[in-house]
Amino acid sequence: MQELNHVGPSLCVKFHKEFVYAAYGPYLQQYNYKTSELLNQCLIFKENKVHGFDISADGKNVIAYGARSVSILSLESINTSKSLVDREQLVEEWVITGTFSKLGDKVFLLTCYNRVIICDLKCNVIGIKSVPEEKSILYSGSIEVLSEDRVYVNAGTVIGGVIVWDLFCESILHTLQGHEGSIFYVTSSDDGKYIASCSDDRSIILWDMETGEQLSTGWGHTARIWNLKFYDNNTQLISVSEDCTCRTWAIETLNSDEINLVQKNIYEVHQIKNVWGLDVCNSEMIAVTAGNDGRIKLVDLLQATRYGNENELFSLGDISSSANVEFSKDELIKGFEWFSFGAVVHTSSGQLVTYNRQSFSWSPIALSENMESYSISGGIQSKNTVVFSNNKNDIILIRFNSKGQLIKLAKHTLEYLAKVTNTMIKDIDDDTFLITLESPNPKDPFVCLIIQNDTYDVNAEHRFSKPSNFVSASLELYGNYLLVGARYSSLGIFDLDDNHRTPVVIRKISAGDTTTSVKFIEKQLNIPIFSITNRDGFYDFISINFDIITNDNKNFYDIIHQNKVAKGFLEGAYFNDKNEYIVYGFKSTLFYIFNETNSYELASQVCGGSHRQWKLCDDGLNKILLYNKGSNIYFRRISQNFTPEVLRNGLHGREIRDISILKEKTYKNGYLFCTASEDTTVRLSHFNNLNGTITNYWLERQHVSGLQRCKFINDEFMVTCSAREELFLWHINNESLDRAYIAVRQSLPTSTENPDLRIMDFDVKFLESKKDFILTSVYSDSVIKVWYYNFASNSFILLMEGKYQTCCIFNVSLEILNNKLLLIITPTDGHVIVYNITNCIPFEVVPGNDYLRDNKLEIVLSLLPNHDVKFPVHQSSIKTICTFVDKTDNSVTLYTGGDDNGLAIVKLNVENSTDKIVGKVVCFEKKAAASTITSVNLFNNNTKLLTASVDQIVRIWDVCGDKLVQEQRKYTTTADTGVADIVRLDNGSDIALIGGVGLSIWKL
Amino acid sequence: MGKRSKDKRDLYYRKAKEQGYRARSAFKLLQLNEQYHFLDDPNLKRVVDLCAAPGSWSQVLSRKLFVDNKSEDDSGKKIIAVDLQPMSPIDNVTCLQADITHPKTFNKILELFGNEKAQFVCSDGAPDVTGLHDLDEYVQQQLIMSALQLTTCILEKGGVFIAKIFRGRDIDLLYSQLGFLFKKIICAKPRSSRGTSLEAFIVCLDYCPPKDWVPKLDLNKSVTEFFEGCNIKEIHNNSIITKWYEEDRDIVDFMTCGSLDAYDSDATY
Ligand SMILES: C[S@@+](CC[C@H](N)C(=O)[O-])C[C@H]1O[C@@H](n2cnc3c(N)ncnc32)[C@H](O)[C@@H]1O
Repeated sequence: MQELNHVGPSLCVKFHKEFVYAAYGPYLQQYNYKTSELLNQCLIFKENKVHGFDISADGKNVIAYGARSVSILSLESINTSKSLVDREQLVEEWVITGTFSKLGDKVFLLTCYNRVIICDLKCNVIGIKSVPEEKSILYSGSIEVLSEDRVYVNAGTVIGGVIVWDLFCESILHTLQGHEGSIFYVTSSDDGKYIASCSDDRSIILWDMETGEQLSTGWGHTARIWNLKFYDNNTQLISVSEDCTCRTWAIETLNSDEINLVQKNIYEVHQIKNVWGLDVCNSEMIAVTAGNDGRIKLVDLLQATRYGNENELFSLGDISSSANVEFSKDELIKGFEWFSFGAVVHTSSGQLVTYNRQSFSWSPIALSENMESYSISGGIQSKNTVVFSNNKNDIILIRFNSKGQLIKLAKHTLEYLAKVTNTMIKDIDDDTFLITLESPNPKDPFVCLIIQNDTYDVNAEHRFSKPSNFVSASLELYGNYLLVGARYSSLGIFDLDDNHRTPVVIRKISAGDTTTSVKFIEKQLNIPIFSITNRDGFYDFISINFDIITNDNKNFYDIIHQNKVAKGFLEGAYFNDKNEYIVYGFKSTLFYIFNETNSYELASQVCGGSHRQWKLCDDGLNKILLYNKGSNIYFRRISQNFTPEVLRNGLHGREIRDISILKEKTYKNGYLFCTASEDTTVRLSHFNNLNGTITNYWLERQHVSGLQRCKFINDEFMVTCSAREELFLWHINNESLDRAYIAVRQSLPTSTENPDLRIMDFDVKFLESKKDFILTSVYSDSVIKVWYYNFASNSFILLMEGKYQTCCIFNVSLEILNNKLLLIITPTDGHVIVYNITNCIPFEVVPGNDYLRDNKLEIVLSLLPNHDVKFPVHQSSIKTICTFVDKTDNSVTLYTGGDDNGLAIVKLNVENSTDKIVGKVVCFEKKAAASTITSVNLFNNNTKLLTASVDQIVRIWDVCGDKLVQEQRKYTTTADTGVADIVRLDNGSDIALIGGVGLSIWKL
Repeated sequence: MGKRSKDKRDLYYRKAKEQGYRARSAFKLLQLNEQYHFLDDPNLKRVVDLCAAPGSWSQVLSRKLFVDNKSEDDSGKKIIAVDLQPMSPIDNVTCLQADITHPKTFNKILELFGNEKAQFVCSDGAPDVTGLHDLDEYVQQQLIMSALQLTTCILEKGGVFIAKIFRGRDIDLLYSQLGFLFKKIICAKPRSSRGTSLEAFIVCLDYCPPKDWVPKLDLNKSVTEFFEGCNIKEIHNNSIITKWYEEDRDIVDFMTCGSLDAYDSDATY
């Protein structure tokens, strides 16, 4: 068994020269933080995680520690070796922290009982120091080495206090009382002036190192705080918390003796709660954070000030003096556009001014037209063109030269429209662009003008009958089709080749309202796919077959992907050069840009309330956000980040509860797989089967409760289930090599309006058609249901319902044995129960096959029959099962793993003489693990069984001849080990994915 | 919405209310006792309940000692309950607000007991969970070691110790360590403890410390030092730091407690 890749908690990160070193599980990793390249990964401990490390001042040595393990190693060896586990040492007590002495020839190890072990670089103990009568356990602590003989220990206790003691005098200097609850971190400034501590109570306290006086308390975090660090010459503090944010604080001196902690910035850094690691690179002003989600995140502490030109603000007064124009007293900014030369700004009195980005100056534009009634409808950057319109049906087109001077103006009027309220612009090609115009009168046509760019003449005028209830909001052009995003989550399709053709409208694409953007993404088998965003936060990918498009046939389009952003309004989206989906929009007054694929924020900007005017434009490499507040205009440059945003992408914020590999089909040197997590999300990702590299595609947020199961039921469908009776049937589209798509096709009906039962497990049996199937779902209140899924009508029909007893059912399986359809359950009472449901469903078992046949029997609801067999197997809950049907001897073999640490082989047969189902335990291994067995998986032609258990040992058993012979065992770094799935490669080797708090990929 | 409906459906919660227990945890102790009957012993006189707040285990103990097993002379009976949190009074229970990992706490308990020994010590302690699995498990195990430290000073030979555990990665290390002090160790899971949680209870029967080891409380010694010489934490090569070695691990028997028709705690939410 060999580990190919591992994603999981990272507990400590540090900058050193141009590198970031990260404690990642039992490894130390070295990254180049400018390129995000992982330069080396070195195994430090056999089993323990590296909780922390320190690099000596001369950069030669490293002390790594975690739980009771320590290792003192040269940095060089960490950079070049793959494994240094033979150097691991064990301490008798848990190590809280470890630090080098000033000269770097000794290390100090603080243990959980508030003792400091001093040892040399070979781990020989030189001395043990402590203070009298203070031996209660610590959660945290730090050692401040001020000089060779001045060393202080800050010990963070479980109840509220920090004990500061002098290492060599073994005397207490201060007992800092002020926090309520455990101290999770304590550190001192390296000038010996301050101590900062954080705790359970969500506050940071700054203390005077000299006097022990409490100087200031920092409130702001909304949850427990895990880590702190002084930076920028001890003038600032940075903190990370369970609220997923990282915050910066300035240590401000008000007058000579009053010192205040003032919160400066908030950065969203991790997916969930546990953010452990934190460091700052002072010379570059970047921070690095690490957490349970396995992500290593870089944070630009100067995100909005690094280049000095990120934020430009002009009031009308500024513009007035620069451009030498007069504005009236209550004049406002009404509209703006951004071009390569700078900006064009239009005011409420109809004045036009341009901004030159080179000279930072404003110039007036003299116009013969009175522009007061107009507003800017849009611009085309490549053509330096701005389009204005008013509600009197006039359109004005203005062109600027590359210096921002007006070079052309044209005006068109569309008399036949009642009133133009909505005008949109779209570039077509070098010579032409188009304008759409819409009037609120339903009888008026929807108009599209094709404009000749050089002359601004109207080349063609298309008048379409306007669909009912249609208010346009966004625009895309695909060939001769105009795609218009509209209110009520709809999309109108207009054929520019045939004005008389009735426009086709796709309505209610998602639950939200206005379609804010439509964008062509790619073609699959010649059918284009569009990304569609909705203001209410939904986004969809929709394939449209223009060849068969009509209003009567809904089959011309297919929603192949659907999801919702975590929070906020969605205004648009695009793929970046790394094929990551980037979305942007607003969270109340905050504009955000978010990497949806890997779920982290790229940038944000506070800007105005709901009446804001704004525009996100491309500005070469960067984006520029233009917005106004009253009579001020703001240009906010959002530069390509100074460093990569992450050094490593994580997966889930909490435990992975299930994993399923799409085994039927390889996908780009590997396989697609799905993970279902306690954090309520489902991820679709890919792993490379050579090196285990994981690529995330989507993080699906349809479930609202923690997941129980996910499983690909064939090569195009997946099912997920969770609490609140949620069960979704998903359709996978993996035709494209850029990414796979996934969309919920149907959800299972619930028993009540406000369901609160958990669906614990499900299983399916397909009908001959391979599209229809029966599905059984089992519930936490002992209920068992069987459904029929009809593909054509896309519906679930209840076939059977019943209750086992009163206990929760953990697993269910449907098996065909001897022409009987068996429903097998394993509840918390440790029994295996088998129902023969052959005659309760309106489908027939086909002799010799593993599917059912639809003989058009009447569909009626039946009751769960009495069980055929029931017998005890485990002491308590059966946590996991897997089955194998042997056609040669007509048996079902069931492998069960229990909460009682036991592993069993159970056989079900049909007795020939009586035709009765009989079952028995043929093998039981009482101590198969030290803790709950959470996953059993057959592989290697059903001759081997892999078990995963909470004791973090993965075991492989030979199961030939119905015996359990343990062949291999290997420790996994993934805590709370819960699930596994295995795929056999063409070359005969097996790859296993093992999940828990993190994910490991192993070659078996 | 979720929370309220959950409570409503939790049968153990309802049952606790009906029977006047402060917490549903009471049934965990009752179901453990159903299996092992340690509280039904008429000779049971002195017990310690560590990490006791809000106090449902103390309530069970109080009822067992002073109601169910009532004798002519109950004067020698004593229940001491310790927790970080304050506890409202319970009949016949002496409450102490203290940290059980602090050696000074032991002195206080020893003082309250005088020279007499206890027959039963239990600990249902659980630290605040941080989410860092190995840290949480370690703090939990430290709580158990602290409880055990007190137990060795106070428990009479043949006595019983039970403690809450989370069956994580290193639980087999703990099993092995406890094996040096008790004749029989079982990992027990009451049906009232959710099957979906890692919680279980270590039941240690028949206290029997190594012959040549005398537990001695010293405020200047840590738990590790305390157990030196009793084998449970053998100090390798007489050094506090040594080369990594494979530690003794042991898997103990697993037992579910409470009858099969007892409520299933997983069925309730
Ligand atoms: C699950 S509750 C105990 C419930 C109790 N058995 C009952 O039935 O009411 C766990 C308790 O452990 C306590 N605890 C945790 N750490 C402690 C420590 N170091 N010293 C004392 N009590 C502690 C907590 O305050 C909490 O009240």
